[in-house]
Amino acid sequence: MVRVLKPVELIVVASEKGRVTVKYPYQEPLVTSDFRGAIRIDASKCIGCGACVKACPPNALELLESPDRLVIRYFVGRCIFCWRCVDVCPVKAVVGTREFELATDRVEDLFNYTVHRRAECRECGSGFATRRMVEYVTEKSAVSEYYANECPECRKAKVLKAAARRRGGV
Amino acid sequence: MSESVKRSIWVYHLNTGGCNACDIEVLDALTPWFDAERFGVKLVPSPRQADVILLTGPVTIEALPKVVNAIEAMPRPRYIIALGSCGVGGGIWHDTYSTIGGVRELLKVLEARGVKVDGVYYVPGCPVRPESILYAVALFKGLVEKKVKSEVAYSE
Amino acid sequence: MPGVEEYVRLAQERGGKWVAHGDTVHLVVDPSDLRPIADKIFNEYGASFRTCVGTDERPLNNHFSITHLFTDDRSGLYIALKSYLDPENPVAPSIADVVPAADWCELEAWDMLGIRFEGRRLERLVLPYWWPEGVHPLRKEFDYKSRPDVSLARSERVALRKEVGTVPLGPYHPALHEPEYFELYVKGERVVDVRYRGFHVHRGIEKLAESRMNYQQVNFLAERICGICGFEHSTCYALAVEKAAGVDVPERAQFIRSIVLEVERLHSHLLLLGVAFHLLGYDAGFMHMWRVRERTMVLAEMLTGSRKTYGINLVGGVRRDINEEKKSKVLSELGGLVKDFKRVVEIAVSAPNVKRRLTGTGILPKEDARRLGVEGPVARASGIDKDARRDLPYAAYKYASFRVPVYTEGDNMARVLVRVEEVFESVSIIEQLLDKLPKGPIMAEKVEIPPGRVGVQVVEAPRGGDIHYVLTGDGRPYRWRVRAPTYANIPALKVMLRDQRLADAPITIASIDPCFSCTDRVVVVRDDGVVERLEVGASW
Repeated sequence: MVRVLKPVELIVVASEKGRVTVKYPYQEPLVTSDFRGAIRIDASKCIGCGACVKACPPNALELLESPDRLVIRYFVGRCIFCWRCVDVCPVKAVVGTREFELATDRVEDLFNYTVHRRAECRECGSGFATRRMVEYVTEKSAVSEYYANECPECRKAKVLKAAARRRGGV
Repeated sequence: MSESVKRSIWVYHLNTGGCNACDIEVLDALTPWFDAERFGVKLVPSPRQADVILLTGPVTIEALPKVVNAIEAMPRPRYIIALGSCGVGGGIWHDTYSTIGGVRELLKVLEARGVKVDGVYYVPGCPVRPESILYAVALFKGLVEKKVKSEVAYSE
Repeated sequence: MPGVEEYVRLAQERGGKWVAHGDTVHLVVDPSDLRPIADKIFNEYGASFRTCVGTDERPLNNHFSITHLFTDDRSGLYIALKSYLDPENPVAPSIADVVPAADWCELEAWDMLGIRFEGRRLERLVLPYWWPEGVHPLRKEFDYKSRPDVSLARSERVALRKEVGTVPLGPYHPALHEPEYFELYVKGERVVDVRYRGFHVHRGIEKLAESRMNYQQVNFLAERICGICGFEHSTCYALAVEKAAGVDVPERAQFIRSIVLEVERLHSHLLLLGVAFHLLGYDAGFMHMWRVRERTMVLAEMLTGSRKTYGINLVGGVRRDINEEKKSKVLSELGGLVKDFKRVVEIAVSAPNVKRRLTGTGILPKEDARRLGVEGPVARASGIDKDARRDLPYAAYKYASFRVPVYTEGDNMARVLVRVEEVFESVSIIEQLLDKLPKGPIMAEKVEIPPGRVGVQVVEAPRGGDIHYVLTGDGRPYRWRVRAPTYANIPALKVMLRDQRLADAPITIASIDPCFSCTDRVVVVRDDGVVERLEVGASW
């Protein structure tokens, strides 16, 4: 008899546990402080080096290039929330947030852009790295601003020219 | 949006080749802690009865004909809620040979076949939290405000 | 018990080459010797067959290669039996008749690399039926981005057998999980045959890893192979690369991996138990099981930062540490969880409808289980005592003591009970490891991965042994082969389902926990038994 009645015990368990339902969205969600949500790029800190773009496994961060602009595009819809970009950013411009309420009816809402201006080469005038990156390099290393404002092509040509002068030909 | 759909949403869950995490979270949203039935959400066993398709996965080429078949079988008005980073943007495999890359590509295939879709909702997350699904449902019903918007920030 | 010498002698006798490195014995033999040696290893020495790996090594040494991977679970050895094949016309002898478990992986090597196997029928397994002949995605000349233009047209095809009734199961179904398609052939209420068409979820993961990713990114890719046991995959990949490169991983990182692996096993087993009750029509048990399960999800989020696809593994260590506060939180939460679970599961398993429908259905005899090389709880419910955590210890499992539950009945009830007992063992493992958690860093200081090394690793996922094979390359894996446990378990369904009642089919399929369960029909079946489907055409 006791064995037959065993399944009925579930009612006891249910009444002891009471209601567990979280009344989200009318109440705080169950998100813990450790949760990894969407990322945010702080444009005032970002130097446009592209380290995050290189580390991103699903290509949610992409580098769009034009002659005078360099844009980091963040597509939340493809992000896997791994925060590798947060790990690799050299200037801590990428910050992780707890945001998860990202639903939308327009896919355009899910794209975020960080726009950088390219530095212009002192010699040929073409754009190469971002201006912020040049600033960062001159600040952190012994390279003088004179050299940093040259594009890699011009720098290469100059070095070859200098070498040619010294040795009488390369 | 049609008022008749808003009241009680019957959803058909369609995995188009995802990893299962979003699918488990869909089910999780229906169990005691989250209980999506509070909003009148009901999982139905056939697309013929469904108002909304919960689409997960990046749409593999093997599943594509079956997915198209299922969406065609839905009555109008038909809505798609694309879940997870695979469903919205193709996810980590957005450019491989055996996927087509998420709902945006699927919509092009549907349009080419003349299949109309009345609305698409995008829910990012990898996997989507059950709360994200509830939020999307609430957004669908007009109970909450949309929070994301595209931002363009200039470094100088 | 055969040791390294016995395995090495197999190659020596036939003039092959061998290398014993760590726990792995590499044998390189002539293709004509593959079959007799595989026969001896599997049928005489009793090693388990794990998978075979085809590799396009033409850019390296102008050959294709095929590697059969075995593990000797008693002596804790990995055996890699390799053979080089002709670059123009790669042909290898089939071993599927002496090692039935090799059936699928040979078909996969044919699909993906165009390696022909002699002495067996070759057919499509992984790629869609309309995929063009002669295009093999894992060959190095194939670009991972090239997609065929798919055109869809409506047409009618008679796919159903006339002489028996046919019940299509899938590919889409009401409750959950992945698209898989079964065709059950029935006479009255009895299932007489089963046809399976899976691989709807083939996403080109292996090709992606060797084309676009780097070593650290593949961890996140591996995690997305499966949304339920993803962490097992990323751990398995990381361990295989670390083994290949000889990276010295800190103990603390290994402990954290083991702890998170067990948290994952908890959530996976609770999930399956819930789904099993749901399929038996016992929804109260399902809801309560999932109520209990939610606590493991919160635990996982606290430890790793995500409810699933945890993303804390890197080659060389882990990304998140467990501090004292989290430790005590985990311990107190586990105590409540285990009490709650015990009570609910005792009630649920004693419910008469659950008990009657689980007992004596879907029987897999021990002999079939060994022949087909099934894994995990399915094997342990059929009397095969194997568990990679104990037999081939990895991460920090050698520091924990636990019992491996084994049942001999081989029915659905046994498979459910194995999982119930494993839940208690998992909780005990987490408690032991948290107690012994050593101090120190969580990431190796130096991670250097030289090309041309091989690493093979087995990790015991909730569903069984999961094996990863990595051949390192330049900046990314040259070849990465994954074999998930369900791959080994699905062929066993044929045995389990035959001569069963149709009504028991869903629970039997679910009892191997294949990420597939409920039943539904998307193919439109008309009165005359003709199936209407979309015809697919492809052009490049």
